[in-house]
Amino acid sequence: MSGLRRWAPLASLLVGALALGWSSSSRADVAQEPASPGGPAVFRRLDETQYKRSIEDIFGAGIEIPGRFEPPLREEGLLAIGASKVVITPSGFEQYELRAREISAQALAETRRKAILPCEPASSDKFDDACARRFFAKYGRLLFRRPLRPAEMASISKVARAATDGTHSFYQGLQFGLERLLVSPNFLFRVESAEANAGGSGAHRLTGYSLASRVSFLLWNAPPDEVLLDAAKSGELQRPEGLERQVERMIASERFAQGVRAFFADMLGFDQFDGLSKDQSIFPKYTSQLSKDAEEQSLRTIVDLLVTQRGDYRDLFTTKTTFLNRNLGSLYKVPVDDSAFGGWMPYAFGTSDPRAGLLTLAGFLILDPTHEGRSSPTIRGKSVRELLLCQKVPPPPPNVDFKLVQDTHNPLYKTARERLTAHRDNPTCAGCHAIMDPIGLAMENYDAIGEYRMQENQAPIDASGKFDGKPYQDAIALGQILHDSPSVSNCLVERAYEYGVGRTASAGEREWLKYLEQRFATDGYKFPDLARRIVTAKAFQAVSADGAVTVALNQPARADQPSAP
Amino acid sequence: MTRKWTRRKVLKGVLAGSAVTVALPLLDCFLDGNGEALASGAPMPVRFGTWFWGCGVNAARWFPDKVGRDYDLKTELLPIKPYQDKVTVFSGFNCLLGGKPNLAHWSGIMATYTGVCPTKGGMGNGTADAPTIDCLVSDAIGSRSRFRSLEIACTGQSNVSYSMRAGSTVNPSEVNPVNLYKRIFGPEFQDPNGSEFKPDPAILLRRSVLSSVKDDREQLMRTVGAADRARVDQYFTSLRDTEQQLGLMLERPAPAEACVLPKSPAEAETGPVWDNAIRTHDALGQLIVMALACNQTRVFNVALSTAPSNLRKAGSAVAFHELTHEEPIDQQLGYQPESTFFMEKSMETFASMLHLLDSVKEGNGTLLDHMLILATSESNYAKIHSIDSLPILVAGTAGGKWKSGVHVNGKGDPCSRIGLTIQQALGMPVGSWGSDAMATSKPIAEVI
Repeated sequence: MSGLRRWAPLASLLVGALALGWSSSSRADVAQEPASPGGPAVFRRLDETQYKRSIEDIFGAGIEIPGRFEPPLREEGLLAIGASKVVITPSGFEQYELRAREISAQALAETRRKAILPCEPASSDKFDDACARRFFAKYGRLLFRRPLRPAEMASISKVARAATDGTHSFYQGLQFGLERLLVSPNFLFRVESAEANAGGSGAHRLTGYSLASRVSFLLWNAPPDEVLLDAAKSGELQRPEGLERQVERMIASERFAQGVRAFFADMLGFDQFDGLSKDQSIFPKYTSQLSKDAEEQSLRTIVDLLVTQRGDYRDLFTTKTTFLNRNLGSLYKVPVDDSAFGGWMPYAFGTSDPRAGLLTLAGFLILDPTHEGRSSPTIRGKSVRELLLCQKVPPPPPNVDFKLVQDTHNPLYKTARERLTAHRDNPTCAGCHAIMDPIGLAMENYDAIGEYRMQENQAPIDASGKFDGKPYQDAIALGQILHDSPSVSNCLVERAYEYGVGRTASAGEREWLKYLEQRFATDGYKFPDLARRIVTAKAFQAVSADGAVTVALNQPARADQPSAP
Repeated sequence: MTRKWTRRKVLKGVLAGSAVTVALPLLDCFLDGNGEALASGAPMPVRFGTWFWGCGVNAARWFPDKVGRDYDLKTELLPIKPYQDKVTVFSGFNCLLGGKPNLAHWSGIMATYTGVCPTKGGMGNGTADAPTIDCLVSDAIGSRSRFRSLEIACTGQSNVSYSMRAGSTVNPSEVNPVNLYKRIFGPEFQDPNGSEFKPDPAILLRRSVLSSVKDDREQLMRTVGAADRARVDQYFTSLRDTEQQLGLMLERPAPAEACVLPKSPAEAETGPVWDNAIRTHDALGQLIVMALACNQTRVFNVALSTAPSNLRKAGSAVAFHELTHEEPIDQQLGYQPESTFFMEKSMETFASMLHLLDSVKEGNGTLLDHMLILATSESNYAKIHSIDSLPILVAGTAGGKWKSGVHVNGKGDPCSRIGLTIQQALGMPVGSWGSDAMATSKPIAEVI
């Protein structure tokens, strides 16, 4: 998709002229949206956060969720795309089965039972079919993100009945039935299905329930709530004004921030914080808490600028505004009195302070699991190229001959720049390192944990360089160049769309993405507006004719047919 | 050893890492006349494991010169000396790309483990274009034990695993000894030598839950696209594994004389710092060994680290993988001394695994005698990502089916020959293995 990055930045000319409010222009915009063939419906494994959030949303807080989750997979820049490729392994399933038992037992424990049961059974030691069906209809719909089909209801009730008979307890019976829901692939995966497009244009579209999940996971990183499921049931969600109404509600909700956090955590590779470590004998300030705080600081900065302030996405690369806690105060050499702010104090770096934008915050600088004892300009440069510019850096050639010395203690090459320059003299390496190193060298004033430094091994650090032909003196100036680069904002657009649909954009979607990029600019680079445009677009629910679902389309029974409770 | 030591005490000593060799009488009533089969006539169970280390070797300091028996042990292989007659060394077995790219730190391991050079990946992960050998073996011999296989990684990262069912999902590794202990020896463990056997009635209900989920299959297969149907299938395969596991828990386990319930390990720091990694290796390894002895699994996979190894000495700024590329070759020594530290230590760690396996007496041999363990790395010389003459060892004798203690030179043949030979020695009806340039139907006659 990198070809998409090269469209002329004409959008920026339109910014001032078209800063219209969304609601007045949105309906017309949908009409202007270029046709998009859509892509296949996808089949995504819930990730750990989504699983845990589902349980919490559905059964309430306080349920302990044990066991190891299957590791995520990053594909084409996003875990959200990897989720459409991963499977459930035997040992992974074993853990899901364990989790299902523990969750069911807690959900139906005496203390919680009353709150979650929609009915009182006729007897606590006999199977009450009507009550069981009401229970499974309610939780089945929430867990499967659509109503249970009659066959599913029958299958689940059968389990519950047998278990009630075996244990002489209706609640235990429900517990086994709930386990049955929790280990089902219909819960563990987000199953998308499509239907013929009502307009008869030839392309297919997602069913209302599948659309509800796409919208909900993109905006909230959570399963659809009852209101959204009701809107899918009534058909409201598939009418433009009905969809808009739901989307407005969801963006206005506090939970939108958690969706924004999840998206940026994926796009910025924050999964790498898991297990991240730096050598404490080299960096005494490093603790595992410091990397947690660094991650949290970046996410708070993002949510504050994009959601709370409704700011310009590009300002993330230049902003002086952030949040600090006491632990980070020591890293940034700022006295922190966080007592009034629940641990996190809003803070604006001074003009002379060498911090501005995400790239100068520890959350970016520290995030290199391959180097625990020093900074790596190569990795930092690679991160900027791949995560923020959506460019692919080729892997190192297999038969590299590293004749030149790379040793932090070598008196001839004191700084990373000197060492890497030696590296770049080698023509095999030069091509790719020229793509990565200059960007990373701009950040050499920050060590491996993000602490500011002027020198390395007593030699002054030169952080200057050029990006896209524009010279800069340091990371702050580079941040300004990135701020102004259309590649940066276009990359966000592409990633946000791909994150939402769980696959890479297809060649046929090029026009649609171009359109989206232009609109992002005319909207003033407001992330909530971008999210709104994506989830309300026809492209977002379009399913290609050759997509995954042709078989389902041929089935007489609609996938979303509800069962009688 | 004094006479006051009970079997239990002795084994606990072994599990605590003590260096004693344990000679345990397997009660005669369990054995046939010559100690190589159980009294029932069933042969002693055969097991299989893989043991992976990253970033290769220094060829001149690792590969023996002498081919055949009594091969010479160079410095880097010296740690396996106590087990030399149980270890086969392979040289000259290559990853033959046949026009595919050499994916750095990926092609080599997949070639040996799957018999197919992969087309996508690099830097320790990517796609397996065929199932890894441990999966094939566990399909053949793993279904009668509680766990079809157990995976462990020693640097704290559960995604470090080279066990794959084809595709890009790894069978995740256990990284924390406390968690692995709970999984194997927690409340669901049934002591094969326990006098009481009372299956938990809840197991039947758990099985009925899983069996009922199969009702969802048909509808799901109709809903998802062709590419995702394989993923649905994998889900149901995994489900059936757990179902089978539950089924076994309803049966009285066969006695396993060498089985002793180990103590729960203490919580300890994990991560890529060398001292933590080997402590983790030994703690996880001890549990794996007891899982084998107690018939909880017949297949296991160990990853000492990821292929571009992030193992690191405490206080050192640079990890093993970077060292291989960046450290100068010491002109006097002729190798990179810092990198070599990890290569030598990797073999010491492998020897420690062999020690654990060889310390458990079983029949008239040891656990190691009743298994094969394939140990390898993804490169020959990591500095230049070379994949010719991959360093490959096979330890054990598969209950006498494998002639161990020799050095075999493959003279440039594909390394898939080793995987093929292993499968045949384990009694699997496999005539050829691998594809493209890696395809072979030629087992290695020197060892079978």
